[in-house]
Order: sequence, then C-alpha cells, then structure tokens
Amino acid sequence: MPASTKDQPDGPDRRRLDDLSRRLDAARGERETDAEKAATASARGRSLGAGFRLASELMAAVLVGLALGLGADFAFDVSPFGLLAGLFIGFAAGLRNAAAAMTAGQNDAGGGADKEKRSGEDDR
Amino acid sequence: MTTALNILSSTMGGLLERLLRHQLAGPMEQFEIHRYVPLSLGAIDVSFTNSSLWMVVATGLAALFFFSATRSRALIPGRLQSVAELTYDFVADMVRGAIGQEGMKFFPFVFTLFIYILLANLLGLTPSIPGLTHTFTTTSHIAVTFGLAMLSISIVIVYGFYKNGLGFLKLFVPSGVPPWLLPLIVLIEFVSFLSRPLSLAIRLFANMLAGHIILKVFAGFIISLLGAGGVVGAIAIFPFLGTVAITMLELLVAFLQAYVFAILTCIYLNDAVNVGHH
Repeated sequence: MPASTKDQPDGPDRRRLDDLSRRLDAARGERETDAEKAATASARGRSLGAGFRLASELMAAVLVGLALGLGADFAFDVSPFGLLAGLFIGFAAGLRNAAAAMTAGQNDAGGGADKEKRSGEDDR
Repeated sequence: MTTALNILSSTMGGLLERLLRHQLAGPMEQFEIHRYVPLSLGAIDVSFTNSSLWMVVATGLAALFFFSATRSRALIPGRLQSVAELTYDFVADMVRGAIGQEGMKFFPFVFTLFIYILLANLLGLTPSIPGLTHTFTTTSHIAVTFGLAMLSISIVIVYGFYKNGLGFLKLFVPSGVPPWLLPLIVLIEFVSFLSRPLSLAIRLFANMLAGHIILKVFAGFIISLLGAGGVVGAIAIFPFLGTVAITMLELLVAFLQAYVFAILTCIYLNDAVNVGHH
C-alpha cells in the first residue's frame, strides 16, 4: 500500500510496513500458484474422465449393435447382413450417446465442479 | 566409504534379488482370483474369494464409518459427523440436481452405490502388507462393475414401467422427428439404451484396470533399474517420481469414477421418473 504510506516520513515504521507488504504479496502469490497448479491437475483428471466417458459410450454402443447383429444373423439366417446392419446402427447409437455425453458434460460437469468448489470454500 | 557403499549395495542387491524373485510378478497377477473358501451352488461356483473378501471389507468399512459417525448425533457435529454430513449433502445435491425432489426416494440406492464404489476404488490403492494382506481391487473386474450397472438399469426399467406403464416406451421416440425417419431413430435409441449398462460397466472397469497396470509397470521399472545398479540404478528416480504422480492421479480417478457412476445412474433414473421431460 504505497499510496496510504506516501505522506508519512521515511523511517523504520515505513520500512517495516513495506517489508510486511512485500512478504504478504509473496505469500499471496505462492498460494495462488499452488491453487492454480491444483486446478490444472484436477482439470486434467476431469478431462481424462470425459475422454474415457466418450470412448466407453461409443464402444459400448458398437458392441451392443454387433451383438444384436450377430444375434439376428443367427436367428434369421441372414448372415452377413445382420452383422453389417447391427454395426452401422451400433455406430450411429454410439455417436448419439457421445454427442449427448458431450452436451451434458458442458452444462453438467462444469456446474458440478463449481458446486464442489463452493462447498469446499464454505468449510474453510 | 567405499566399503560401506559396497556393503550397502550388496545388501540392497540381496533385497532386490528377493524382491525380483518373489514380488515382481507380471502386472496382471494383481487381478487374479483366489478361492479362500470353495463353495458351490449346484453347478455355480460361489466360492468366497479374495474379491469377495475385499467387497466385505469395503461394505464393513462403510458401515463402521457411518455407524460411528452418526452415533452421537450432535447438533454441532464433531469431525466424523461432519464428514458424514458432507457426504450426505454431496450425494443429496447430486440426486436433487439430476432428478429433482421426487428423486430422493432413490437417494439410499445412489448413496450406497457411490460409497461402495468409492471405497472399493480407494481400497484397491492401499498397499499390500507382505505376508499378511494382498490388496485386490474389486472394481477392476467387469463381472463386478457389470453387476452394479445391471442393478442400476434394472431399477430404471422396473420403476419406469411401474410409474409410466407403457408410456415409458416414449423414451425411444424423441419429439420432432419426421415420420419416415422414425423406425431408424427408434432402433438407434433402443441400441443406445441397451448400451448404457455396458458403457457404465466398461468405464469403471477400464479405468481401474488401466490405472493399476500402469502403476505396477512403473513400479516394476524401479526394481529392474535398481537391480541393474550403478549409474543405471540412479535413473530409477524417474519411474519413482512417475509412480508417485500416477498414484495421486489414481486417487482422483478413484473418486471421479465413483462420482461418474453415481451421476449417470441419477441421469438414467431421471428418464424413468420424468419421461419426455428432456
């Protein structure tokens, strides 16, 4: 706070005040970088989770389509058209799932993260 | 100085040799199932295994924690009670946010699911005590995660038909689709619905499996490099730092995957509670 101490004469008090504010600034900066670091780490973990989510949504739907297609092949003896149709439908369903997960992630995960942060701050 | 170093390195070498012989099994060995009490129900093998044991440990720990946390039921909570109340609020907010007030009838289920998966994930990260315990991650087996996912989806289906009757099938008919596209869309929506339990199961299982394999492989590097000794041994610091970093990441993943499983269960339950409100 140089503005408020400008009119005071130079002296040991002034020097001590400057020193204190310098140390305060340093401590504050340290804490902010720590918080930033933690935020980046948790953001990385969250995006890892989001990536895993998209991958598993897509994969699960393709697998289900594959299973249904093979089942149709087996039941109605239409091999290989059941498999082909099943894979296509499974892929379409997977993309639909992934798209839904992405839109939900944009509204939902962000809100959840904010809520977490807020409740964390309340305790401190 | 050199003699001390020699003695140190020779004892370290002996220790490492023993570690290499006994501990350094492949990274997949940690997922092996061992029968403790062989049991069978007709043709079905229902033995009490190490997987069962760690499930019991997770359930027991959860019960122990919440019993002791809620024992005093003070107006001004102590430490344990605070943690229990925070957990309650966290899950209750999740359920209310995803389903609404009506969804609170599912709170006990979602809470149990969240706590169980969280504890199972975290217990899998605790180190084994040689000769005493052998840590096992139950959620790293798709049989377990698929069972949990099927439980969630079964509740969604049963409650959906119970509450909405055949109106629950409107879930497969999104609004505003031209009639000529409808058959294809219904088929795609149906496959998408069927894929839900599978994607729930695969996600949790794959996260746990991959994390534990990476941890084991990195930790194995440390032993191998130290075993090589000399300058090469000094490089072991890098996989060590990597292991520490991955362990921290795994702690985050353990929580995140429990959260994702619970919140997705809520979202699917929401389909059953509010059909056509999305």
